[in-house]
Amino acid sequence: MKKIIASVGGLAAVAAAAFGLYAYHGEIGPRDAREKPAFDSAVVAKGRELAAAGFCAECHTQPGQAPYAGNYPLDTGFGIIYGSNLTPDPETGIGLWTEAAFNRALKQGVDRKGRNLFPAFPYDHFTKMTDEDVRAVYAYLMSEVKPVRNQVKDSTIPFPLNIRWLQSGWKLLFVDFGTYQPDKGKSDLWNRGAYLVEGVSHCGACHTPRNLLGGEEKSRQFEGAVIDKWIAPALTSANASVVPWTAKDLSGYLKSGVSQYHGVSVGPMGPVVHAGLRKLPDRDVEAIGVYLADKLKTPDFDPAKNPLVQASLATGRTDRTYRDDEGKRLYVTACASCHYNVKEVLPARPDLAINSATRISAPDNLIQVILNGVVSDDGIQGVVMPRFRDALSDQEIAAIVNYLRGQRAQLKPWDDVERKVGEIRKATTTRH
Amino acid sequence: MADDLRKSPRSAVALPRASRRGFLVAMASTVAMFGFPLGADAAIAPGEPGERPITPNGKMFEPTIWYWIDQAGRINVHVINAEIGQHIGTATARILADELDADWKDIHIEHVDVAPKWGNMVTGGSMSVWGAWPRYRQAGAAGRVALIEAAAKLWGVAPESCQTRNSMVTSGTHSISYGELVASGLSRSFTDAELKALPLKPVSDLRLVGRNVVELDVPDKTDGKALFGIDAKVEGMVYGVPLLPPTRLGSSVVSIDDSVAKGMKGYIRTVDLKDPTGIVPGVVVVIGQSLMAAKWASEKVKVTWTAGPTAALTEQQMLDRARALIRDAGVGTILDTGDTETAPIFAKAAETLEAEYTCASVLHFQLEPVNATALRNTSGTWEVHTGTQWPSLILPALEQAVGAKSGEVEIKSYLCGGGFGRRLNGDYAVVGLLASKAMDGKPVKVVFFREEDALFDSFRSPSVQRLRMAFDKGKQVLAMDHDAAAGWTMEAMGLGAGMTKGKDGRTFDPNSIDGADHYYSVGPHKVRAISLDLANQLRIGFLRSVGPGWTNFALESFMDEAAHKVGVDPVQFRLAHLKPEGRNAGSLPSSVGGAARQAHVLKRVVELSGYGKQEAPGKDSAIGIATTYGQNRLSPTWIACAAKVHVERKSGTITVQKLWIVVDCGVVIDPDGSLAQIQGGALWGVSLAVLEGTTIENGRPRDRNLGTYKPLRMIDTPELAIEFVKSTAAPVGLGEPGVTVVAPAIANAVFNAVGVRVRHLPMTPDVVKKALTS
Amino acid sequence: MITFKLNGQDVSVDVDGDTPLLWVIRDELGLTGTKFGCGIGMCGACTVHVGGRATRSCATPASYVSGAEVVTIEGLDPKGAHPLQTAWSELNVPQCGYCQSGQIMQAAALLKDIPDPTDDDIDAVMTGNLCRCMTYIRIRDAVRKAAATMKGAKNG
Repeated sequence: MKKIIASVGGLAAVAAAAFGLYAYHGEIGPRDAREKPAFDSAVVAKGRELAAAGFCAECHTQPGQAPYAGNYPLDTGFGIIYGSNLTPDPETGIGLWTEAAFNRALKQGVDRKGRNLFPAFPYDHFTKMTDEDVRAVYAYLMSEVKPVRNQVKDSTIPFPLNIRWLQSGWKLLFVDFGTYQPDKGKSDLWNRGAYLVEGVSHCGACHTPRNLLGGEEKSRQFEGAVIDKWIAPALTSANASVVPWTAKDLSGYLKSGVSQYHGVSVGPMGPVVHAGLRKLPDRDVEAIGVYLADKLKTPDFDPAKNPLVQASLATGRTDRTYRDDEGKRLYVTACASCHYNVKEVLPARPDLAINSATRISAPDNLIQVILNGVVSDDGIQGVVMPRFRDALSDQEIAAIVNYLRGQRAQLKPWDDVERKVGEIRKATTTRH
Repeated sequence: MADDLRKSPRSAVALPRASRRGFLVAMASTVAMFGFPLGADAAIAPGEPGERPITPNGKMFEPTIWYWIDQAGRINVHVINAEIGQHIGTATARILADELDADWKDIHIEHVDVAPKWGNMVTGGSMSVWGAWPRYRQAGAAGRVALIEAAAKLWGVAPESCQTRNSMVTSGTHSISYGELVASGLSRSFTDAELKALPLKPVSDLRLVGRNVVELDVPDKTDGKALFGIDAKVEGMVYGVPLLPPTRLGSSVVSIDDSVAKGMKGYIRTVDLKDPTGIVPGVVVVIGQSLMAAKWASEKVKVTWTAGPTAALTEQQMLDRARALIRDAGVGTILDTGDTETAPIFAKAAETLEAEYTCASVLHFQLEPVNATALRNTSGTWEVHTGTQWPSLILPALEQAVGAKSGEVEIKSYLCGGGFGRRLNGDYAVVGLLASKAMDGKPVKVVFFREEDALFDSFRSPSVQRLRMAFDKGKQVLAMDHDAAAGWTMEAMGLGAGMTKGKDGRTFDPNSIDGADHYYSVGPHKVRAISLDLANQLRIGFLRSVGPGWTNFALESFMDEAAHKVGVDPVQFRLAHLKPEGRNAGSLPSSVGGAARQAHVLKRVVELSGYGKQEAPGKDSAIGIATTYGQNRLSPTWIACAAKVHVERKSGTITVQKLWIVVDCGVVIDPDGSLAQIQGGALWGVSLAVLEGTTIENGRPRDRNLGTYKPLRMIDTPELAIEFVKSTAAPVGLGEPGVTVVAPAIANAVFNAVGVRVRHLPMTPDVVKKALTS
Repeated sequence: MITFKLNGQDVSVDVDGDTPLLWVIRDELGLTGTKFGCGIGMCGACTVHVGGRATRSCATPASYVSGAEVVTIEGLDPKGAHPLQTAWSELNVPQCGYCQSGQIMQAAALLKDIPDPTDDDIDAVMTGNLCRCMTYIRIRDAVRKAAATMKGAKNG
């Protein structure tokens, strides 16, 4: 997730050269760092939730280091951008930032000194936040996060892509500035969901395809995209799920990391759930479900009776002919112990014929999970899936993937699966 | 099952079960929980706390070396066989307890460490119960006689007035327990001659034999307490992972480059074993602080070897060589099967039948990969902790490996996580011991990962057999030839001196040919065993059912082919030639009844299965029949099988739907354990017949793990119907006979189903498809 | 340091995170009931429960279970008398016994998800657990027997 946003930022810079004047922003003076900021504890608590819902810590914390102290390396493909230090340290963090400066950064993509931020920082979404919510996040960072002195490294983005004012053109082209405006024709819950999805939680950053310049294609909102060798599935009626996502499925998934008929939250989606959205109040998660379900155009139905679910259960049955097909044989010996279901799909036994990973446009997610498994923090909390990278060859994993896609889901086979396994294996090497 | 002791609480025999479980998990430290003190006696005792043998409580009485009784009345039985899943300790103890009139609750078992007094300690060939039966009956009788004598003396009554039952001696109103008698002081001993003269109970009086109990080794196998070789733990031990040379024999190390490994955490060093025994030449072991440290380092250590002569050897070359040897009438050994002059008969026979059968190489794939933990203890003795089926064989090699004198190397027994013959060959123990030697006697645990276990396997040799039969004009059988070329494990393992003499004075490895010397009366019968030298160079080994696993596939397939040739039903054809006369009449003690008993099991399995009586069981489905004498002509286990199969013509897949098996093994010591052996054996038979096998490429097995090696799994399991014949004859073995009879029954069923004769094992879909289209 | 719960107790181990959980349990924490068979997750001898799910510990890096709850055969039941263990003894299921810890752990997870399994269900879930002694028929019988016991206990 992070990488793609960063890399589009680099690309975008090239196109922005002509907008010099538009690009100018002045510095906002420092606040008095000796003054201890005072905020109402309810505001701070709200800010904590929103910071989680915006996954701020993900890009602003170096693994194993103090939270929000910055220097998380984002490899853009053009160079590395380091996440900035969001702790209230006056010298290296945001200790000298006034609320106004913070607000301008989130809502306009300009730092305190007046420099444009790379759109790796999704201000194109944060601009939808209310001033009140921005203030809450500011309050949380300034009063609850421990100041850490940690100089953020310069980006290694080469000239001329590193010219910050060039970003202004990108903004002009692709950013729709301004706070979210409720749709009067929709319910409060829907509007609340829309506000969170479009704003702080920036779902489109991963689920909306981007144009060549790295801007989200508004006309194709939520149609799905590729991220870090994972597929972020479509959140529209084009979603490949056998069982359309209901609002309840969505909110349940975003709260627990697992959906009975769709799968678990892994890869880039793992922390989105477990370090992020699940920390929102239930009502907010419910609102997100309502909004996304509307985007997905979910019909009203009982998923258990879905004929494709029944078909999946039927193709999951096996007999002694399992040996006739290599993929099926490997599946029956290495996978079925956990993935076999009887009369209904149990949430903790992901049924792979209806699982999103088997049904989306490309095999990446399925391959990722077979190769690298699922750690206890992802997916269903406290549950793991072993990794088969040291156990199965590319050819064997491809056989399993092709079996699931063809014989179980009965969909058109993916091309070149074995090569893709090799690529993802290489891209995700471990130390040993 | 009124006559069933299986629910008798085992807790009564030792400490209460619950108390042993008190130490469920006490950890968060790296303290070894099951560590044996250095140099301690490590004999394994299933069912005892920590699987450690009990020691006598106060006074004890040892009527023979096979057990002792202490003053608490506990009876500790010394078992010299390895526990490989056959519950041999329970079977052995039961023979003893029955003759001793002991209370089953007093029984404890101990699988003793190797020592000269126990004789040849080997667990293989389905001979353990057969060997235990006379020995432990005598031992039990000795104890009973001694206890009665002591009680009679105590009470001043005649010994004849005393009875024994449930660990008590009684006479009139007197009664005393065995423990009390031991407490009073007992020291009676018996000479060999006295032992042989002891009165034994008639079989009909046996009370424990023939009843079911919870096998003594079983409870610890349900809660993780059972200790296998791989569980051995010694204070201060480091771990070793082998790097194997390009050929099993004949390779030598040129250089070792561990420069990359040197920077890795936990890496200690790489040792060239420089094996002086010739059993594991060229093996290198990478040593690490943890198993994975050693494993990861081993992936970075570069060893250069000069390869031995088999570096390019293929399965096909071995089969071609076998065929060439068979064609050469001058090679091989003719077995003594009575009249072997078949050539003149074939020369003038009205008709002859000839067929060739081939069997592929097969891996053991015992689930516990081979391993050994070795050290030199504080008293200077080398200890090798491992599970082995034949400690007596490997012990001298271990002594040679470290240049030790007799008694300076001890093998500590553990349970075997699968034997199947793999652990008859103790080569892995040599690796463990030499690794420790290279580390100056420091404790080293060498574990073969699965791929190395497969590469290092003493797999079942491929084989080629040619069978011929001569008939007269009336289609009567005149003579038979059976030539079998296969690896001779005894040659491969340096046991050539112990091989059997044939009729022509040459020697042969019976493990390669048993089964061919059948109980059918066919006139002159020439059986020729031929050593497949190329296989021997790969250090092939014994695999459950050994020679009878392939000879019976050929023989019993051929009997069907012959029957069809002369137009007789295969069952009738067999029965016509199973005549209990001449050398097929059988003899006491073990083969009494001879061909008549084989005919009986055959007839019974026909009845059970409905073979030949019912309608065809469906399109492309049929029942096939086979019968064998099990493992050894002199201690035969009579067995017959009916297999119902379905053949999917398009894919060539054989589905084995049901097996009916009838067994006559003499007295059934342990009904439930016997059933388990036949169940397991029969399923091995199915697996070897249609599912598993490998191919030698570049002198090594192609398949190394379950990605490509495909043994039978639960879903492949056919229905089984097994019946034992009631008999008072001497008990014989059950571990392997179940295997021998299945493959030919399936091959015959396939022929009956689709009219195609498959003459190769395994009968995989490809093989069947080829047969169907040719 | 990797911290998780093993059989109800907090444990911390200082190992390379890539070390398979199997060896952490066996060699670092000293519980040898869990066995090594194939190392590629295809024989089931190493099966433990992670978060209540049957998991092949040979293919699960130790770092993956950080914060999770792991249960081995030693912790399945405090007295070693889980209905499956009792059934296993009464029916003399084990032969060599090496695979049986994994079989029992897999079966326990099976019965939790599918309390009343048919033979086909048992086959489908248990086929990943290899038994080289081929005790499959008894394993099936014992699973059914334990299922009946557990059902009886629940209803009674």
